[in-house]
Amino acid sequence: MNAGAFAAALLDRTAPCPPGLRSWNGSAVAQRFAVYRNNFAVSLVEALADSFPVLRELVGAAFFRTLADAYVRRVPPRSPALAWYGADFPDFVAAFPAASGVPYLADVARLEYVRILAFHAADAAPLPAAALAAALRKPEQLPALRLQLHPSIAVLASPFAVVSLWAAHQGLTAIAAVDPFRPECALVARCGDSVEVTAIPSAAVRFIAALQAGAVLGEAVAQAASPSASFDPAACLGLLIGRQLLAGPAGQQGGSP
Amino acid sequence: MSQKTTNRPASAAALALALGAALTVAASPVLAADAAKEKCYGVAMKGKNDCKAGAGTSCAGSSMRDHQGNAWAYVPAGTCEKTASPTSPTGFGQLKEFKEKKA
Repeated sequence: MNAGAFAAALLDRTAPCPPGLRSWNGSAVAQRFAVYRNNFAVSLVEALADSFPVLRELVGAAFFRTLADAYVRRVPPRSPALAWYGADFPDFVAAFPAASGVPYLADVARLEYVRILAFHAADAAPLPAAALAAALRKPEQLPALRLQLHPSIAVLASPFAVVSLWAAHQGLTAIAAVDPFRPECALVARCGDSVEVTAIPSAAVRFIAALQAGAVLGEAVAQAASPSASFDPAACLGLLIGRQLLAGPAGQQGGSP
Repeated sequence: MSQKTTNRPASAAALALALGAALTVAASPVLAADAAKEKCYGVAMKGKNDCKAGAGTSCAGSSMRDHQGNAWAYVPAGTCEKTASPTSPTGFGQLKEFKEKKA
């Protein structure tokens, strides 16, 4: 039996049982294969439901099952690590005709997936306060200062109220008070063991993205400001420092005692 | 004259002000408050332990017994070792996992 034929039959519910299968106890092979094919799809749909709980609540369990099942058959896992399954599920949702009436679904799904990446991102020792104080004593060097961000940090800019929608589904705010069509930007990062989602201004997204791309502090601040939105570096740096999202220089921090 | 002042990144003085203010913002207790939780072993009821890591990795709600010594729940910082745990050798929740004694 060839693995390609087996895999193809696994993804197509109407395909006949691939030839060459045998059962160890003489039970009906076609029936056993059908059970396996069903479990394969159901377990992956459930994995997506675990990873995208807010999306599931937004569209309802029945619609979600249809959506996820279509995705599983189109994009089966490429890796045995189930945690990362669904990286392009948000794109699939965006292109799913029946979901087009609710345009913010894909960005909410993107936020949920970014949270998973943040959860599994590497640890980093925070930049010690003394290092910041030392930097402040040499202000002439600040524009060329290179800040390392915590590896879990991600930013997401959306034309929809993704942070408020997500928060409403955590019971943090009332869903009735959310206008989904108000643009919002999210900062997603892990603090300790919990992944935090915070609304930030669009200029802060550009600032953090610039730092992630390796820009020095002076350049990043310059890139953050735009004609339509001023940038408040103190607020953004305060947030990053307060959440311990500036990382220490690699290799200089020992493990905690 | 030949000195370029256009397109110049943020000035050193402006950055010093911003970073100084940022350190003040960061030191305020509001931001520290949401971190004031600790992992506490031995206090969660069966199936009520915390932990969530996405599909395939979830161990939340997986504890098999009440007060399981290697299952934890988030509690407000400082309260763990004051929370009674009948399976704990100290009689209270612990910050590290422990071997249960017979409750």
